[in-house]
Formats: sequence, structure tokens, C-alpha cells
Amino acid sequence: MHEFSVTSQIVRSVLEEAEKRKAKKVTEVHLVIGKLTFLGLEQVRFAYEALTKGTIMEGSRLLIDEQEGVVKCNHCGYEGGFKYEDDPMYHVPVPTLKCPQCGSVVNIVAGKECTIKSIKMMI
Amino acid sequence: MAALKKKEVVKAEEGEIYDVELSEDLLKANQRLAEENRQFLHKNGVRAIDVMGAIGSGKTSLIEKLVQLLKVKHRIAVFKGDLTTTIDAELIARHGVETVAINTGKECHLDANLVKKALQKLDLNNLNLLFIENVGNLICPAEFPLGSDKRVVVVSVTEGPYMVVKHPFIFMEADVVVINKKDLAKPMGVDVKQLGKDVKMINPKAIVVATNCRTGEGVGDVAKALEL
Repeated sequence: MHEFSVTSQIVRSVLEEAEKRKAKKVTEVHLVIGKLTFLGLEQVRFAYEALTKGTIMEGSRLLIDEQEGVVKCNHCGYEGGFKYEDDPMYHVPVPTLKCPQCGSVVNIVAGKECTIKSIKMMI
Repeated sequence: MAALKKKEVVKAEEGEIYDVELSEDLLKANQRLAEENRQFLHKNGVRAIDVMGAIGSGKTSLIEKLVQLLKVKHRIAVFKGDLTTTIDAELIARHGVETVAINTGKECHLDANLVKKALQKLDLNNLNLLFIENVGNLICPAEFPLGSDKRVVVVSVTEGPYMVVKHPFIFMEADVVVINKKDLAKPMGVDVKQLGKDVKMINPKAIVVATNCRTGEGVGDVAKALEL
């Protein structure tokens, strides 16, 4: 939904890092994007290409790892994927905050990140 | 087998590729600012409630009715997020509470930085309760905490029967879910109870209240659910 503004933040951060190290070119950027964010990878790639044009990032490789949503239950200690409700009425399984093991309310511990993991640059 | 060649020492040369580990989370920057807002508000004895929901779901009407109900008991201010115009902000301001319009321009959600800026416009000594109405949108605001104590999501029956299951992540963020326009449930053919069940299925800890924010029906229960 706001891929353009988030991606421009990504590009700005990468360019800042590159400038600090007096890089001539950025060759690769590695992102981790959580599946619980509302960032469409297709749109991030599109915005990335548009935003890097004319900069030292132009033509760099964009790697994106997707991070699955992980929940943790303080009641029974479960840590893992969501419990999905798969009522045929909904057509798609709906994720819920119920613990798949004991039914208590869980906390989301991963899946909301949008991280620049690493950058490769030519110095 | 031939002996291994002596390893050459690799020197950093011109044109060499450097791998920089960064691990900078761009959404975390907003979360940090939100935490600062929360602490700033608490230090000044102000509780903040963030109201989210689709365009036309009744966020402004809910806040108007809550203000009418609570302005005797609390000293209230309202932040009203919109792309442009101050129409809604003026609707709220006529109830005699301090109102700050936050125009995002083009952004589809408020963020912690905009709220921080708006906070500078308030006299916090004169205040103990702040409502923050987000931009009408069921998607992005879920991703941008603002520093509020409680988050309310408003969904109305005129949005159809599947609004809750279609947007599970924003309902996971909610402490209180308001199902508005319940008087229109019948003509819309929407089951208020089913919407409530959908909320409870996704987020069992959310409190669900059905309202008609035009008349004020159910708004007292919303205040109770928010412990106001």
C-alpha cells in the first residue's frame, strides 16, 4: 500500500551508507520483509527500479527474503505459525490470534519487519 | 594429488565489493517514535485512543458522540487525520474541545512523526484524554502505531458482511471493535452478530460493541470498554 514511500526510505538509507563508505556503486541490496506487513513485493521491486534510476544503485540486484508470521503463547509456550480458521464460507483461511495448541491469545513476535539486511557495494 | 597452492593474501583493492551488514528496520523507526509519544503522553497524564476504520465507517461520528458523553468528566483533545480539508475537524471542534487537523497530503495513514508534531500544538496541562482519528483505511494504519494506549477499529454494516475476515491484521491490533450503523443491518442484509463472531475468532481479546453513532446508541458501552 505504501511501497513507494517505504522503498524511497530504503533507497535513501542505502545511499547514505554508500556515501559514508565512498562507494562507487551499489551492486546488491538484501531486504527482509515480513509477511504481516502490507508491502507487496512486486510493488517494492517496481518502486526500487524507478527510485534507483540515475543513482549509484541503478541496476543493482534486489534480494528479498520473506519472513513468515510467528506467534508466541505465554500460556503454553507455543512458538510458531498462526492458527488459521478454514471455514468454507471465507474462501481463504483466516489467520487468528488463538494459540493452535491451547487456544489462549498469542502475541505476534515476527513477520512485521522491513529490514535492510545487507548491502554490497564497490568501493 | 598435487600439493595445495599457497593461498594468496586478499587485499582490498579498488573496485572490490564490500558487504555491509546493516539490519536497519525501517518500520521500527516509526515504532520507536510511537514509544516516545506514548511515554511523553503518560508523563503528562494523558491517555490516547487511536480510532481506525474504513472511509465512511463512522469514525468521526463515534468521536463526536464520545466527546459529547465524556467532556464533562474528561479534558479532551482530538487529532483528526485526513488527506485534505478540515471539514471533520470542524465537526468535532464545535463540541468545544481542542481539535488539531492533521492533513497527510497524500499518505493513506497517520504515522508517529505526524502525531509527535501535532502534540506540540497542544497544551497538555489542560488535558487528560486524546482521541486520534486515523485516515480512513483498513490496511496501512495497522502497520503504523502512533503511541496510543488503546486502538479502536470501527467497521460498519454498510461495508458488507465480510469486512472483518477480509482485513484480519487490523482487527488483530484492536482493543475495541465498534460495529456501527447497526440500525441499517436489516436493510443491508448483514448480520451484526456474525461480524462480532468474526472479530472474536480473529482476536479473542477484542471487546466488540454494536452502535448507531448517529443517535449515540451503544456509545456508552464503547466508553466503558475503553475504561473511560
